[in-house]
Amino acid sequence: MSPSVNDRVAGAALGIAAWLCGGISLLILIWVGVEAIPALNNDPGISSLLGDAHWLPGSVREPQFGMLPILAGSVLVTIFSIIPATVAGVGCAVFQRFYAPKWMRTFLRRVLELLAGIPSVVIGFWGLVVLVPILQKWQPPGQSLAAAAIVLAIMILPTVALTASTALKNVSPGLFRAAAALGMGRARTILGVALPTARRGIAGGVILAAARAIGETMAVVMVCGNVAQWPGSIFDPIRPATATIALEMSYATAGHRSVLFALAFFLVLVVGAAVGWIAFRKPSTPHRR
Amino acid sequence: MIGGAARLSRNDRLLGAAGGFAALVVLVGFGAIVFDLFQTGTASLSIPFLVGKVENGGRAGGIGPVLISTGMILLVCLAVALPLGTGCAIWLSEFASKIRFARAITAGIDLLASVPSIVFGLFGMVFFCRTLGLGFSITSGGLTLACMILPIVIRTTLIGLSGAPSNLRPGAAALGLSRVSTIRHLLLPVAIPGVVVGTTLGISRALAETAALIFTSGYATRWPEGFDDSGRAISVHIYDLAMNVPGGAANAAASALVLLLALLFINYLATLLADRWLLKRIAPTSE
Amino acid sequence: MITVENLSIHYGNLAAVRDVSLDIPEGKITAVVGPSGCGKSSFLASLNRLTDLIPGAKVAGEIRLNGKSDIVNDPGLDLLELRRTVGMVFQKPNPFPLSIRKNFELPLLEHGISKREIPGRIESTLREVGLWDEISDRLDESAENLSGGQQQRLCIARALALRPKVILFDEPCSALDPLASGVVEDHIAALRGKVTVVIVTHNLAQARRIADEVALFWVRDGAGCVIETGPANTIFDRPKDPDAALYFSGARG
Repeated sequence: MSPSVNDRVAGAALGIAAWLCGGISLLILIWVGVEAIPALNNDPGISSLLGDAHWLPGSVREPQFGMLPILAGSVLVTIFSIIPATVAGVGCAVFQRFYAPKWMRTFLRRVLELLAGIPSVVIGFWGLVVLVPILQKWQPPGQSLAAAAIVLAIMILPTVALTASTALKNVSPGLFRAAAALGMGRARTILGVALPTARRGIAGGVILAAARAIGETMAVVMVCGNVAQWPGSIFDPIRPATATIALEMSYATAGHRSVLFALAFFLVLVVGAAVGWIAFRKPSTPHRR
Repeated sequence: MIGGAARLSRNDRLLGAAGGFAALVVLVGFGAIVFDLFQTGTASLSIPFLVGKVENGGRAGGIGPVLISTGMILLVCLAVALPLGTGCAIWLSEFASKIRFARAITAGIDLLASVPSIVFGLFGMVFFCRTLGLGFSITSGGLTLACMILPIVIRTTLIGLSGAPSNLRPGAAALGLSRVSTIRHLLLPVAIPGVVVGTTLGISRALAETAALIFTSGYATRWPEGFDDSGRAISVHIYDLAMNVPGGAANAAASALVLLLALLFINYLATLLADRWLLKRIAPTSE
Repeated sequence: MITVENLSIHYGNLAAVRDVSLDIPEGKITAVVGPSGCGKSSFLASLNRLTDLIPGAKVAGEIRLNGKSDIVNDPGLDLLELRRTVGMVFQKPNPFPLSIRKNFELPLLEHGISKREIPGRIESTLREVGLWDEISDRLDESAENLSGGQQQRLCIARALALRPKVILFDEPCSALDPLASGVVEDHIAALRGKVTVVIVTHNLAQARRIADEVALFWVRDGAGCVIETGPANTIFDRPKDPDAALYFSGARG
């Protein structure tokens, strides 16, 4: 074969690989979406999903599919994990960038990277055998929204801290020189100049972390208590969407199964929209940089 | 250093203390997790545990079949994701002549990277197990994981390829070198570090994965008889022992320790390789 | 002989070159001069279709090599063969990050030269650019260890090894120090009569020294075009175009 024919063959083969890779997400949307159609259509139908008071999919006489408590569980656990993770993560990044000695800076980054690498099932297991018993003594039953939020916060903290650290690093040195020339103290420079300048990057990291939290399954399912209810307090058990899918898919049939796929489809849309928004949001206006 | 390094005001010190406290929490938290797992896991950890068969639902015996299944799932995953991912990256960087197409594919890959792992599990269950008729098997699990790590492999390979000197491609084209030769002799050597880092990161992601495997490769604890056999990965084993097997916590802890050690090692390797080879081109992880 | 007729080059909606017609005589050195941003390099890149590498670049018009098939429009054109026939040397030396020998082997093997012939070609072309005595004992060392001037001569030798009919030079001396620049210029001048040379240069003095023919590019209506052509020994003294007169006298551009 001549070289130019080779090129065309290789180009076609690699092109197929590329379209295949790009097409997988479409396959996922279609295959999961198709399974979700009955649930949204009439089995049990949207009115049931939003209108039913309870989540009792297994009830023989009168199954109920009220998924609002489940969605609320997802949203609540995300909010309660993202707040401490943001505070601690940004604090950690500020300390790492502006206060820590050089050796500690690298050390902290390594620890954060290792923390990010701990698999969710291991953190969940730790939560189950260490964290939950502690909570149980204090505020039974232990497996609760609080436990899930703490475990999730540990999991997403590295994402927040590492992106915040990178964003702070990208603040132009000229700004720091200007602040120093104005006689500004370190705290004021950080709070008034560095953090506002880096806020886009930090916000991006927080949203990524939130997307991860709402989509996380294993760590949550092991510590959240798995009761599909509106939690009365932060120490009540909950059952977020991911946990519901993981626990019920193995025995779900017909409409119930379809509802689980609808939950999954919904998760893809929410997470995809969040990540897509970060990727495509408009560049900040020049005067803010 | 910023803001008067010599003398810190009270506010400066207060902010430093707050940040330091956050860092301390992270360090202590990380230390606690690792320490707890060591403490609870080392008791049952031994060579017979690593090679023995699973007995009494995992309460007794070892994790030999689980490790074999995990390895086989990983093998399927890499055998598919590596050629597909590097091929995709090479096409995007060297062949894609229409920017529209490249953008569409990149958007698809970005979306893929954001899909929650439980959704991969459901997709694998309906697409690989049922539509393609592969059943609950190591192959189905491996293919599902391959979809999951593709974005990682593609991204790091692209970063590697972007490291090629900018005058390499026109130089090669001006000598009438075919694209195939240009890629094979000039670009791949430059891209290989990216591929290696991507592979390591991909392995670590795949090893850590549980949710995508529960509904694809299944729960079987016997020695796997082939790629079409069901087999549980180590992460699934930990989950099952902790949640569904009363009295399984000790062996779950030992398995978790095995997984944690393997991952800490692989991630350390990945960071080391990334720092050395890709330098500052992987933005979020570099100093 | 290269005949260029009504050549236009667009990048997206932006015209880089408009309606250029030019005859480039065989075996001579043709210098393309003009102020920066007037489309000289785009013009040069269209002669071996390196414009294909620039996303969004569109070329219209005709370019014929020795009256044969049209470089711009012929659908059956073998691009790799075209680039073997029409070699190119860039502003910044661009040896591959491989050994000096590999730098030759890679393109030679690609174009079907047998392994036995290669050592002879390497020696003869390295002699042509005066490098053989300097580097014959380190052919297996990395080409990146050579000095800038040596690298550029290596790139010329690498192009010559493919026995091209034409070599395009895109400001080949402007990234080199004056001494190395002089050496490279001498070796380009020595190519006269052996291959057709088209050289883009900012340096009018250089054009005066080595060119047989000169084409002056200028920006008119937002795009590059040729405003003056002629033999090098007369064009500088009696330009017809008023801009050309000012440019050659050093008052413009």
